[in-house]
Amino acid sequence: MTALRPGRRAFLKTAAVGAAAALLPRPALAQATSGRVVVIGGGFAGTTAARTLKRLDPRLAVTLVEANAQFTACPFSNEVIVGLRDLGDQQFGYDKVARDGVELRLASATGIDPQGRSVTLADGGRLSYDRLILAPGVDFRWDGLPGYTEATIERMPHAWKAGEQTLLLRRQLAAMSDGGLVVISAPANPYRCPPGPYERASLIAHYLKTTKPKSKIIILDAKDAFSKQRLFQNAWAALYPGLVEWVSLSSGGKVTSVDPGMMTLTTDFATHKAAVANVIPPQKAARIADLAGVSDRTGWCPIDPVTFASPLQPNIHVLGDAAIAGAMPKSAFAANAQAKACAAAVATLLVGGRPAEPRLINTCYSLVAPDYGITIAGVYHPVNGQLVDVEGAGGVSPLDAPASIRAQEASFANGWFNTLTAETFG
Amino acid sequence: MPRVLGQDPAGIVIAMREFRSGQRPATVMDRIAKGFTEDETQAIAAWLGAQKD
Repeated sequence: MTALRPGRRAFLKTAAVGAAAALLPRPALAQATSGRVVVIGGGFAGTTAARTLKRLDPRLAVTLVEANAQFTACPFSNEVIVGLRDLGDQQFGYDKVARDGVELRLASATGIDPQGRSVTLADGGRLSYDRLILAPGVDFRWDGLPGYTEATIERMPHAWKAGEQTLLLRRQLAAMSDGGLVVISAPANPYRCPPGPYERASLIAHYLKTTKPKSKIIILDAKDAFSKQRLFQNAWAALYPGLVEWVSLSSGGKVTSVDPGMMTLTTDFATHKAAVANVIPPQKAARIADLAGVSDRTGWCPIDPVTFASPLQPNIHVLGDAAIAGAMPKSAFAANAQAKACAAAVATLLVGGRPAEPRLINTCYSLVAPDYGITIAGVYHPVNGQLVDVEGAGGVSPLDAPASIRAQEASFANGWFNTLTAETFG
Repeated sequence: MPRVLGQDPAGIVIAMREFRSGQRPATVMDRIAKGFTEDETQAIAAWLGAQKD
């Protein structure tokens, strides 16, 4: 068991509270026969699921299919955009994952045969499975915003998948002259990282205030309410008065088309000419979910809240941003928590057991300034086939907290990132 | 920040109880502790306490 200890220690550090209940039925696992699990997607959900399965039952053959040798994390990438952090701090490899006994397959999955229980890879390979876990993340809806296409992301970066796009937006902000207008187009729900556009606006405001104080930032929004809204708005009024303008859906904020050549974003009421335009496009579950037949007409994937199994196809589970997880937001922390619950359920199902109901946690930190952090937390459980909030738990940071608490939460945000990434990749 | 692994389960239960009631200062643990019943808290504490750091 010595070999298991380092991984198990990391796993326990934050996971225990959320996953303990699900991990209790150990006797069933003691009689485990081997099974074959393929996990598609090496992000917070897929990587955690693969490692947790291997730790729960070392006899399982677990293959993690991921196209990129290096993962670039989205949480904290808003800090990279404004020069508070390097992109390298966001990047993680899969060495430790492989050391846990997970077979890493660096390839794109191009097809899934749910009846034949096999996955086809772009390199011509084929993997068979007893259970498949899909954690593919999001794709952008290139038909969702007229004028915005894959060809125009160089002019108007989305920076909503961290990497080259993050650095591009950073370079554009750095090159902008003082007095320029930054426009962020925020999508309707659901999308990856609900507070993300507003954290981004906050940190860009911090950057502008300190380096280009005649500039301004407008958020054009396709919705009327957003995560941690009052906390953000209070902070903007206090820290960045007159610098951040939020235009809600009902005030005409929804962007209906963009013209990357002219650098304009058009709503029903106005056309805004931007010096820097950050378009966060509408999203859906990544395409492999469509190919597997597990996405519905919303573009996302319904799941069973106990096992994360798809009701649309047998032996396929869906995790993370691609899943319709009820009250749980599309966040890295939620993905990690779901992955542990799903892994426990899959390990139990493979030996004919009955999975225990999970109780899941989410915590999301947002930085409004480098020393000003705010959070939203939630605890979730299955009720009538849905993951719903445990009543009386969760919520956001207090509206009236002193600066010392905001500073403490900003510092804990670093701990949150370090723990989550160490647990997933370290 | 103290590690929770291998700690005395009774201490964990008391801490969680105080987070729940608001007696113990917290940023997020108060909001999270409220999502767990006393029985669940005891099960979690027993499990955590049994782990070696």
